[in-house]
Amino acid sequence: MKMLAPLLHSYWYLFRGAGMTLLMAGAAVLPATALGVVLALVHVFGRPMARAVLQVYLFVVRGIPLLVLLTFVYYLLPLTGIDLPPFWGVVLVMSLYYAAFMSEVFRAGIESLPQAQWDAARSLGMTRHLMLRIVIFPQALRLAAPPFVSQCVSLVKATSLVSIVGLWELTMASREVVERTLAPFQIFIGAALIYFCICYTLALYGRYLERRSLVGH
Amino acid sequence: MDDTLSDAPSLVTDPPVIGAPQAAPRPMLTMTGVVKSFGANQVLRGVSLSVAAGEVVVVIGPSGSGKTTLLRCVNLLEDYQQGTVTVDGAPIGYRIDPRSGQRQRMSERDIAASRETIGIVFQSYNLFPHMTVLQNIVAAPVRVKGVPRAKAEARARELLALVGLSDKAGEYPVRLSGGQQQRVAIARALAMDPKLMMFDEVTSALDPELVGEVLEVIRALAEDGMTMLVVTHEMQFAREVGTRVLFMDEGRVLEDASPKEFFHAPQHTRAKEFLRRLHAVTE
Repeated sequence: MKMLAPLLHSYWYLFRGAGMTLLMAGAAVLPATALGVVLALVHVFGRPMARAVLQVYLFVVRGIPLLVLLTFVYYLLPLTGIDLPPFWGVVLVMSLYYAAFMSEVFRAGIESLPQAQWDAARSLGMTRHLMLRIVIFPQALRLAAPPFVSQCVSLVKATSLVSIVGLWELTMASREVVERTLAPFQIFIGAALIYFCICYTLALYGRYLERRSLVGH
Repeated sequence: MDDTLSDAPSLVTDPPVIGAPQAAPRPMLTMTGVVKSFGANQVLRGVSLSVAAGEVVVVIGPSGSGKTTLLRCVNLLEDYQQGTVTVDGAPIGYRIDPRSGQRQRMSERDIAASRETIGIVFQSYNLFPHMTVLQNIVAAPVRVKGVPRAKAEARARELLALVGLSDKAGEYPVRLSGGQQQRVAIARALAMDPKLMMFDEVTSALDPELVGEVLEVIRALAEDGMTMLVVTHEMQFAREVGTRVLFMDEGRVLEDASPKEFFHAPQHTRAKEFLRRLHAVTE
């Protein structure tokens, strides 16, 4: 019990850090999802030029580590005269970064539907908008739900990188406690448990969505 | 199911009046010089045909002869490069500009609207798996035609009764047999009150014992005066239900005859060969 004392004394501080982690992840997931859907639609229905631009964006984002992008925004963007508050700078980078991956998830969901579904909807006189809304999206989003949740888990874990650019969240809070208590083992185990609980809850939700997606299939 | 079908009220909203003075039959479908290519492969080579209101035209021919593509061009699921298609006088997909005589593609909205008048039932049913049977049938009438939901559901239940599936309204398609799914697909197409119904080898994917129940529904439709274009390999059905048989090969209509003429005295060499091979297989 004495060994766990540093953790028991600072658990509330770690929980506050976890709250910040969740806030940051939540703030990034929403725009990343919205942009991901838009990019997926551009990929499926866009004109060749728009699709070419999208491909370049995807290659660039896939080819650069998130940490490099975070550093770029944190250190270099202010030099260009754009001075975002660190929190929103990080949310912007993570949104743009994860939108690229989420667009692939949604695109795969849309494109995995058989041509027969599109044919059936068209043959009933549905416009493209209606067809997407009531036939394609409900099925594609169900198929995309499990990998989408995986991306959310990845995003939550990626928030630990922002401590490197000085933003306070769970990992940064843990480092601060370690510096005070000199008990890295106990504190980082505690932080890892908190990350695990958040991600495991998301993973369970992903499994639930996966089971639901099987309804009617 | 058979009882339900034989005593069923009309499936067709506007059946022809029996005993009315004989006038020239109104053409329900006309195709003129329709050419369709997939890359360098020309699948339809200037197909022209006309189907009068109330006719049941059966399209037969070897695999790859262009039968399915023909049907898909009628409601523009496949775009065609030349020619015109009209249903009940209204152009589908392209209009001819009266001044220049050139084909002009209609807007996507107009094309979608014209598809409302044409029902098609596919070989692989193509029901929406995330919707129940009832939802599958009411989706288009409610969302496309703006029919009030209660009215659309009442009509859907009526159609389900007609195809013998009243008890399946709340089921998901995956829980139905192939024959049941195909009958739901027919009910779904009929719910739009189409002027023309097309069937694309609707029994080909079914187990032999399920074929009959689907053909019975189509037969009942034919008896009700629905105009139909039916692609099938069921020769007995073509003989009994068809008012005309079109024989297609290599993207052309080679023979257009009554079932009796076609099956007893085919004119074209390819048609003779086709029937000979068919007899050899069935005997």
